[in-house]
Amino acid sequence: MKLYKKEGNIVQILSFPNESAEKGNYLLVEDSEAGRALIVQVIDVQFASIPGVLEELLRSLPDGGEFLQGEDFDPLEIAPHITYIQDASLLVCKIRATVENNNLSPSSSWLPSRSQSVIKKLPISNLLKLADVNGKFPIVLGGTRESSLLTIDASALDGGLNIITGKKGTGKSHLSKLLMLNLVGYKATVVVFDLNGEYLSLGVSADDKRNAYYDKVHVLTPGQNFKVALKQLNLSVVLGILVHALHLPGTSAREFKRIWQSLKERDMLTLRELGEAIRNLNCNQHVRDALASRYHSLMNSGFFTDNVAESAALEECLFRAKEQGGAVVVNLRNTSSIDRQIVVEYVLGKLVDSLTNWKLRATFLFAEEAHLYLRETYWDDIVTRMRHFGIFTTFITNQPDTIRENIYRQADNIFLFNFTNEHDLDVVSRAARVDAETVRSIARDLPPQYCLALGKVVHDFPMVVKVKALDVKTMGETRLFFKDAG
Amino acid sequence: MDTMMPKRFIESSLQSLTHAQSHPLQLNQQGFQQANNIEVHPQAARLRLPPLTLKPRHVETMVAAVDTSTIKIGETNAGILIAIRGAAVWKESRNYRYTRLGPFVFHITEENKRDVYQTLERAYFSPSAGHDHYGCPGLWQMPTRMASLLERWLQTMLAKTVDKGLLLFDGSLTAGTPDTSVHLLKEILSTARSRSSLILAFSKMTTLRVNGRLITDLPSDFKSPYLLEMEGLKLKPPTVLLGDVYVAKLAHGGYAFRLDIDREATVEQRVWSVEKLLTNDLLLQGYPETLRLAHILCTFTANEVIAMQHFTTRKYGLRIVNRPDMHSLLFGPFGKGECYA
Repeated sequence: MKLYKKEGNIVQILSFPNESAEKGNYLLVEDSEAGRALIVQVIDVQFASIPGVLEELLRSLPDGGEFLQGEDFDPLEIAPHITYIQDASLLVCKIRATVENNNLSPSSSWLPSRSQSVIKKLPISNLLKLADVNGKFPIVLGGTRESSLLTIDASALDGGLNIITGKKGTGKSHLSKLLMLNLVGYKATVVVFDLNGEYLSLGVSADDKRNAYYDKVHVLTPGQNFKVALKQLNLSVVLGILVHALHLPGTSAREFKRIWQSLKERDMLTLRELGEAIRNLNCNQHVRDALASRYHSLMNSGFFTDNVAESAALEECLFRAKEQGGAVVVNLRNTSSIDRQIVVEYVLGKLVDSLTNWKLRATFLFAEEAHLYLRETYWDDIVTRMRHFGIFTTFITNQPDTIRENIYRQADNIFLFNFTNEHDLDVVSRAARVDAETVRSIARDLPPQYCLALGKVVHDFPMVVKVKALDVKTMGETRLFFKDAG
Repeated sequence: MDTMMPKRFIESSLQSLTHAQSHPLQLNQQGFQQANNIEVHPQAARLRLPPLTLKPRHVETMVAAVDTSTIKIGETNAGILIAIRGAAVWKESRNYRYTRLGPFVFHITEENKRDVYQTLERAYFSPSAGHDHYGCPGLWQMPTRMASLLERWLQTMLAKTVDKGLLLFDGSLTAGTPDTSVHLLKEILSTARSRSSLILAFSKMTTLRVNGRLITDLPSDFKSPYLLEMEGLKLKPPTVLLGDVYVAKLAHGGYAFRLDIDREATVEQRVWSVEKLLTNDLLLQGYPETLRLAHILCTFTANEVIAMQHFTTRKYGLRIVNRPDMHSLLFGPFGKGECYA
């Protein structure tokens, strides 16, 4: 390999057919005289612009598109040299760091010698050592293309905002399960908003046996084993549900507040009493109607109960998870859009409440397709305010444009699976921790199960990894009509 | 088939390269393809009118063509590094096929040029042939002269193997020049005739003029395809014409080319042959496709030049040196390189 060109933080390297390099590979451009080396990553592989190649190709197709038949008498065997030159490739590489005395710096301001530099592949395992990626809480993400393991440190997910995105069927949920279970393994508290019931069997292995996480995975299904008694609710949480999930106007919310406080003072906070109070409210007809309709929505959700005994599920689960680590899976499958928002408002309110009162230390929140249940204002809340309370969110989506640009800008880690759509790639490339060229070029060619890890987890050295298999029962598979046919 | 010539080419090539190992190699950016044939400016030449009108003649006939090419791929401090390649293309049953010889790479120096040239010449000319002897060419004429040797050998092979065909040569049927002896060309023409084939030589460029204008540029209102015969051509000895010269415009809207046809053939044979060419070959822009393919197949591309430089440096350890371009050095931005000098 030969260094050909450097423009900004892009270098172009000429590579010959016997020197294979793929997108995502790391190369070390060593200038021994300067005592420094550049760490560069291949972001694109192109044909080298060899003069005369067009003529060469045209020459072989002169007869109406058919190959010209003939015999070549090439006694000096120059043809292999011609194909060798013709197949030379140009590796477009992004400079990631400079190594000097075994120390890494992000500098790309120096120019290695074109004639003296030696270019060789930098195995991911060596790069991980150089970048000191391994830590106290290792999570094996999977294997790199060089068959070495990519291990990240769970602490890099701590206090951060993560995004897992990619098109359908590429392995996003699989990775989020892997991260979740590893976090649980390190006694972290994890809350999952499970839209499709994919996380329900995390405690069961593929052969239907209990696995090590069986006792740590708590599935809460709203209306079944997950109900809330009004007495346990703070007014702020209820108002949050009414205003944000059920869109109750301000005037009506004020009336509701009065009713709530009155019932609470009299220790009569039950569904029946609340209904009665709204019915007997002496106020504007429209306000009463508005309150009545919201009350019926709450009733119909099946999420609220007057039985305190069946309403302690979330707190219990969080408490158990706090002690020994655990995942609280909020099963939102088969839940209507309104009910979903009610449940999410409640859970988030409860989490903030528990974290504020130090009942919980911190929580890792995994939110699948959050745009389907998260109200607009929560996005900013999650990445700013809630982060300070100790809610560290991982968004999982196959529609990257449903996550706002400012979320991408603040993301600490992005796990990017395959995207072919330019628009999707454009959206993701707005992330602050990665350059657009890397995202566009590498993500487009990722095979299923392969992901490009970006951000703190890989010390800002984008790495392609094949996410390792998990021994858990697969759930949430698409129901197919032709599955058993053929 | 007589394979003495290619054998000698290989041997001479390898021998010359082996002796080049100690020399540093200056890569040369300025390639050259084969030089044009030498032509004189005859006096009193004219075109005979009216032209011979051509009608496509549907008789299945094999069309074969030959061309060679040479290029300088570098310089050493002792000489030059050149490559030669030849191609024969033929069209039979609507399909084009080819045989390509080379590239043969030679390191030619003042010291070895005589040996190399004479070895190749002897491989082709039998001692009894009595060919015209012009001695050994200068170093800078060597590439074209060696390519001419290969071309004549390929032409001879076609003449010896093709029956009742049309043999297309690149250039003219002028003999008695340093690279084409009269004896040799006569022998090729006669061999072709003996197998009922006819040789048609197309020149892409000509310097022949009538009334001060190039014969291929003269305005004409005649309906193509046609042939215009040239009369009154007299060349200075020892140069002789072994064919009659025509201006051939073979396709409507195409270019006109100088066409030399074997002088020994009757006028009818000449016209019939060109008429058969009209139906047995594609004539894009008035130029036969077979001959075009032969040219394309032997021409060196920049990619091949790089590959040959790679081959010589890898296999024969030639050291690449960069000799400064004196024009650029002396004249800066006004020095456009040696080829513009």
